[in-house]
Parts: sequence; structure tokens; C-alpha cells
Amino acid sequence: MAQSERMIDIAGVHKTFVADHGTVTALEPVSITIKAGEFISIVGPSGCGKSTLLRLISGLDQASGGTITLDTAGRKRPVGFVFQEPVLLPWKTIIENVRFPLDTAGVSRAQSDKIALDLIKMVGLDGFEKALPRQLSGGMRQRAAIARSLSDDPPILLMDEPFSAVDLMTRDTLNDELLRIWQSTGKTILLVTHSVDEAAYLADRVMVMTARPGKLKCIHNVDLARPRGEETKLDPAYHALVAQLRRDLRTSGGEAH
Amino acid sequence: MAKRLAAWVDYALALIVLLAAWWFATGPMEMPTYLLPSPLRTWNALVGIAVTGELWVHLGFTLQNIVLGLVLGCVAGIALAYLMTRFPKLAVWLDGPLVILQTAPKIALAPLFVVWFGFGILSKIILIFSLVFFPVFIGAVAGFRSLDPKMKDLAKLLGLSTFQRFRQIELPSAMPEVFVGLKIGAVQALVGAVLAEWMSGKFGLGYLMTFASATYKTPLLFAAVLMTVVLGLLLHVMLTMLENRLLSWKSAKK
Repeated sequence: MAQSERMIDIAGVHKTFVADHGTVTALEPVSITIKAGEFISIVGPSGCGKSTLLRLISGLDQASGGTITLDTAGRKRPVGFVFQEPVLLPWKTIIENVRFPLDTAGVSRAQSDKIALDLIKMVGLDGFEKALPRQLSGGMRQRAAIARSLSDDPPILLMDEPFSAVDLMTRDTLNDELLRIWQSTGKTILLVTHSVDEAAYLADRVMVMTARPGKLKCIHNVDLARPRGEETKLDPAYHALVAQLRRDLRTSGGEAH
Repeated sequence: MAKRLAAWVDYALALIVLLAAWWFATGPMEMPTYLLPSPLRTWNALVGIAVTGELWVHLGFTLQNIVLGLVLGCVAGIALAYLMTRFPKLAVWLDGPLVILQTAPKIALAPLFVVWFGFGILSKIILIFSLVFFPVFIGAVAGFRSLDPKMKDLAKLLGLSTFQRFRQIELPSAMPEVFVGLKIGAVQALVGAVLAEWMSGKFGLGYLMTFASATYKTPLLFAAVLMTVVLGLLLHVMLTMLENRLLSWKSAKK
């Protein structure tokens, strides 16, 4: 897992928006180097720029300054992105949605079908290939969205509060499945979340961000044993980290929980 | 299934009551034929022109004009709506002229179309086109504008080409609103087609009506009117089938 090669190099990246009354700083300069295969969580209150950071890395938005270097060898689609909502195409079936990135890249149907079916199985949706998104629950739709983001095999997976819209039970299950998927695919994952428990449970490192203006406050290494599971949640080290993260967020006057 | 059967029985009963009332007015009440021909006479008139082949010529002509006008109006309405949402500058320029054209009563312009485009098929198609274009255009603009911004993010992430974006995301997501416009447009198209045939030419159900009333062949007039009703129903059924096919993803959970 812990290869030493750099996957994402972020150097002094910042973002300002021009609003009606002057400019607003969404993100103060951030620098971090992320290794290939690393799992990074980003926690922080609303308005701390954590989603902005993901959008900058994905290329959806342009940074106002600084550089982001992805070691993805000129791939056309270096990142997979999972949004807060599933953003599935409602007129396509689950398999068509999962296949969509492949179809639009001109991959042959036989090959794309095979990849899509494997991914659908991996996220636990087998039997629902021909279902439309509206026939599935919120958690199942989010699983389909994860499968889609993996279908053209991007080395980097960016997730913007992917499980915030599902209930707590489903969320725990999805977190465990995400860990399983991460371990079997070796992706580099950046996951934005409101939940310090989730952040600590999943990640190798946790970036703590604070709001107004958005900036990176500190980075914690998570030295909990892998693979993680129910016993991790009983580990005193886990509780100490969660408490530390809470303190970090509270002293900054944020509104996180 | 039983529910559908019940609906059909209801339709049939309503139709029978209507026919009975019609028959009663012409039979026992002895309404003169030049005012109200009996169902049988109307039927005979219809069968008469069906046998000689006249009916199919007129029906075919009207149907062909409607379909052409619908297709052209749809394509143009969707195309302009798409261009206007892609290039907001264009929307600023075209807004004024479009409002004027849209509020102008197209039916009143019909004689002008005949003057400009002649007695042939062109003036008829242009009238139908002008009636279909606006409802479809307005529906399509609403559809394109209501596109979920997250879908745009998705398209950008996947690096879709303009055509892929339109074909795979923008057009399907605008389809429900386009259909609202298309259904209004289809009713208008029938009105426009018949009206255009009243004014000029020697073909179509509209022409058949003016011919029948000018020669006091009331049964024939009734037959022609009945055919326009059937045509209207046919259009409605065709559009509903198309809608069920294209928008099944939108319908309520079964």
C-alpha cells in the first residue's frame, strides 16, 4: 500500500471568488503531497473550502494560484468523482449508468459490460443491473455512483461527502465496503466528510480544515491497524484521535459535530 | 388489466349513448338531413369516398402535412432553444423578436402565408410549423435551463464532447418539458392543417369540408368532420405511446 511515489502534489494552491462586494477567499494557500494508494480524509465545518479543494484537484474549477500536479501519466480522466448526491442519469439503467464513462470513451460493449458487471457485483448491487435509479434506495444509488466513478479505472478517487445523505446504519456499511474496495483496487482516495468518526476510521491521514477563511489547520497521521473493523472502534487510540479532531475543530470556532 | 377493461367499457358506453342521441334526433325527431344527417347516411357517405379512394387521398395529404410540420417544428424549436441556452448573447438579441412572433396570432397570419408562399403545400407546412414551433421551443428552453448543475459537472469530469453532452445528457433531461410543448403543438398542428386547407388547394380534409358545405352535401361534411376527430385521436395516441417509450423513467413507481 505505502508506495513512496507521489500521486498528488499540491503546492500553495488557493482560491478566491469575486463577489458583489470585493473578493472572497474560499481557500487560503494549501500544500500537501499525497502518496499513491493513500487514503486521506478531509474534515471541517461548512465553508472551510474542503469541497473547493476537491473541485480544484478534479479540474472542475481553476485555482487562483499555486500548482496541482497529478502523477497520472497524461490520462484523459485521471480522477473519479463521487458527489454528495448520486447524480445518476435517471433515464439509464444501473448498468448503463455504470458503463457511461466507458461508453462515452468508445470502449467496446463486450468489454464495458464485463467491467460494469464486475463493479456492480463489487458494490453489492448484483440483480439490479436493469433497474432504474428511481427504483433504488438512496444508499443503493450511491453504491451505483461509486461503481460508475471506478468504471474507467482512474488512479484517484475524490469523494465529496458521499454518504451524508444516507442513514447511519447504511453509512457504517458503506464505509466498510469503501475500505474493502480501496484495499482491493489500491486507489488513492480523498474523502471529504463532516464526521470526525468517519474521517478517523477510514483514513491514513486526516486533514483538518477551518472556515472563514478556509484553510488547512493541521494534518494527523492515523496509526490504527489495518484492516479496520468493529474492533477499531473499540481501540482507545481511535477514541483519542476522534477527541483530538473534535478539539481541533472546536477551538477554531467551527460548527462541526 | 381489469381496470383497463373497465375503462374501455366506459368509453364504449359513452359512445353508444352519443350515437343513440344522434340517431334519436334524426329518426324520431325528424331533423332534416341538410341540418343533421343520420348516423347511417354519414356512414354511407364515408364508405362512399373510402371506396372511391378519395378519402385516403385527402386524409393522407392532411396527415402528411401535420407530420412534416410537427417534425420540422420540433427540430427547429429544440435547436433554437439549445443554441439560446448555450449562447446567452443570442438569447438577449432574439428575445424581443421572438416575443412578438410568439404573441402574433398565427391563424390571422395564415392568409399572408398563402400570399407569400402560394396555394401549394409550402404555405400549409409553414402555418403548421409556426403553430408547433413556439410551444416546443418554450418547453425546450425550460427543459435546457432546468438541467441539474451536477450533471454539467459530470459531463466536464468525463470530458464529453459537445455532441455527447447534448445527446447523452442535455436532450434526454429536457425531454419531459419538450413533450409538454409537443402535445400542445400537436393539437395546434391539426387546427392549422385544416384551416390551411380551407383557404386554398384541392386536397385534404379541410378542402373536403369546404367542398361538402359549398355543395350542401351535409353527410359528406359530417364524414369529413368525423375524420378530423379520428385524426386528432390518432395523433394523441401516437404521442402518448412515444411519451411512454421515451419518458418511462419519469413515471410514478409501479
